[in-house]
Amino acid sequence: MIEIKGVSKSFKNETALDYKDLTFEAGKSYMLLGASGCGKSTLLNMIAGILSPDRGRIIIDGKDMSAAPQKEKDRFRIEKIGFIFQDFKLINEMTVADNIGILRLEGIDTSGMDSLLTRLGIAEKKNKKVKTLSGGQKQRAAIVRALVKQPDIILADEPTGNLNYSIGEQVIKELTQAAKGKTLIAVTHDERLRPYFDCVIDMNDITGSPYDVAQGKAVE
Amino acid sequence: MLSFALKNMAIKKIQVILIVISIVISAGVAVLAYNTSNQVRDGITDTAGWYSAIIGPSGSKTQLAMNTMYFTDEPLGTVPYSVVGALQRDSRVKKVIPYAMADNYNGYRVVGTASAYLESKEILEGRMFDDSGVYEVVLGASVAKVCDVRVGDEIFTSHSASEEHTEPLKVVGILKESHSVFDRTVFTQLKTIWEVHEHGEHGEEEEHEHGEMNGGICAAIVTTQNPAYAMALVNEYDGKIITDDDGDQVTLQAIEPMETVRSILEEADSTKYIVYVLCAIILVMNVMVISIITLLNMYNSAKEISLMRLIGISMKKINLLYILQNGLIGIVSVALAFAVSKICLLFMDSYASSMGVVLDTARIYPAEWVILALVFAIAVLPTVVCTFVMARRDSINE
Repeated sequence: MIEIKGVSKSFKNETALDYKDLTFEAGKSYMLLGASGCGKSTLLNMIAGILSPDRGRIIIDGKDMSAAPQKEKDRFRIEKIGFIFQDFKLINEMTVADNIGILRLEGIDTSGMDSLLTRLGIAEKKNKKVKTLSGGQKQRAAIVRALVKQPDIILADEPTGNLNYSIGEQVIKELTQAAKGKTLIAVTHDERLRPYFDCVIDMNDITGSPYDVAQGKAVE
Repeated sequence: MLSFALKNMAIKKIQVILIVISIVISAGVAVLAYNTSNQVRDGITDTAGWYSAIIGPSGSKTQLAMNTMYFTDEPLGTVPYSVVGALQRDSRVKKVIPYAMADNYNGYRVVGTASAYLESKEILEGRMFDDSGVYEVVLGASVAKVCDVRVGDEIFTSHSASEEHTEPLKVVGILKESHSVFDRTVFTQLKTIWEVHEHGEHGEEEEHEHGEMNGGICAAIVTTQNPAYAMALVNEYDGKIITDDDGDQVTLQAIEPMETVRSILEEADSTKYIVYVLCAIILVMNVMVISIITLLNMYNSAKEISLMRLIGISMKKINLLYILQNGLIGIVSVALAFAVSKICLLFMDSYASSMGVVLDTARIYPAEWVILALVFAIAVLPTVVCTFVMARRDSINE
């Protein structure tokens, strides 16, 4: 379970973001909707330990990760979190296998790579350089990299942002299926993708009373 | 990590090749310059230390020393063999070795002398030439190898490219390789030189009587009973005028080899410092080139590093990865530089040997390892600094 409590974050020359208290239940999939700049990606980055909140706490499975040292956050991210980015974050000159194999630098077991590549339909692209792949194939490769370490939490920041709707929908469908049983939090602008998630949170409304998703106060 | 480092280097092969070339050139030149300069110096001083005095015709002291000890340049001329007899009768003299150079065999110098001249050399095959005989030769190891000549074979020397002597010389021995100019020289009894020339100049009909020691020599190499006698001997013989067999007057010149060589090396010393300064400039340029390439490389790698950080790879692992990459580049480059310097030494050896200086490719000075270690440090240091700076400016949580 991920709990967001009294978190605020400000950036240089930008307005501070104050978050409602939120709770993400383990094993459920969440869709974060909202306009650009409303703090969706910032929230994901804080959960992943890439950013630290200015104040407040981010509690994951009972541990306040926002107060943890950076090394511990890095370790948690590499072991427990699968992060999928809008721009894939793959090394274009390397093969799909090498991009996934990069996790081995931190001792992560990537033996499940082949079955995941097959499951996502890009097994034949395993030894192809990323720069030769289409956008959809790149995102699938990024999903494999996120899932291969069997993370407890999957964070997806605009995973369909660079894809057209039909491919984006297919990717989300595959992602939600592959992430079954894990906590999935995906940021997207596209409301048409709602049916694939257990809950949807409108991040435009980030102020006011605590927002408990588990009690069903999600935007329809 | 090694596998990933190699793959990561493969995608940046242009930068990697540039760094390798830069290191190979700078380290190779530095090592080569140091090695050559020291080998030439050591070779010259070692040989010069063997003799107390050299007595020959008047002229350049340097030419007399270099021709007699290193078989370079042309002989100054000849002096009568009677000089040897006079020196042998001198109680201050321990040993006198006559020396003459006239012909060549396939471009290799032929030296006429006494077997004592080669007493410090080891015979690999066969035996030493007989001092009382003629037409026997002992070959330097390289001569035998390159010309594919064995003990028992006969060879023909020549005075010039178009003037080959008709008398065959029998190979009776081959010297063990000594990585000196002796490897590239043919040695024979002094009388052989005279006999072969008599045949060439006068034909069979006017042949000299064998065993008669009345020809000319290019120099007499002297070892005194006591080092202190050398200077007195040189003072006595330098400028002395004697009469040769034809009644002509010949002015002698006497030198102390060590003194002559020392003066040559003193002149060469300034050249040596120029070489060292050039090496230092090359190394400084190397630092700059490697630093610039590394910085550009790291700048290009910033995206890759940020990507690795985002997916959770720790800064420590990223630092190790880049240090490993540059360490590999450094090791390979330094090894290549070392190999290139030895290959260059091999080519330089064939050139230097024509001047009487023999370069041993197997000879390595401890300072060469220091130079290579320094270059390796130069190759790796910019990366260590860059990764340290990047770790301090880690974009995560800025």
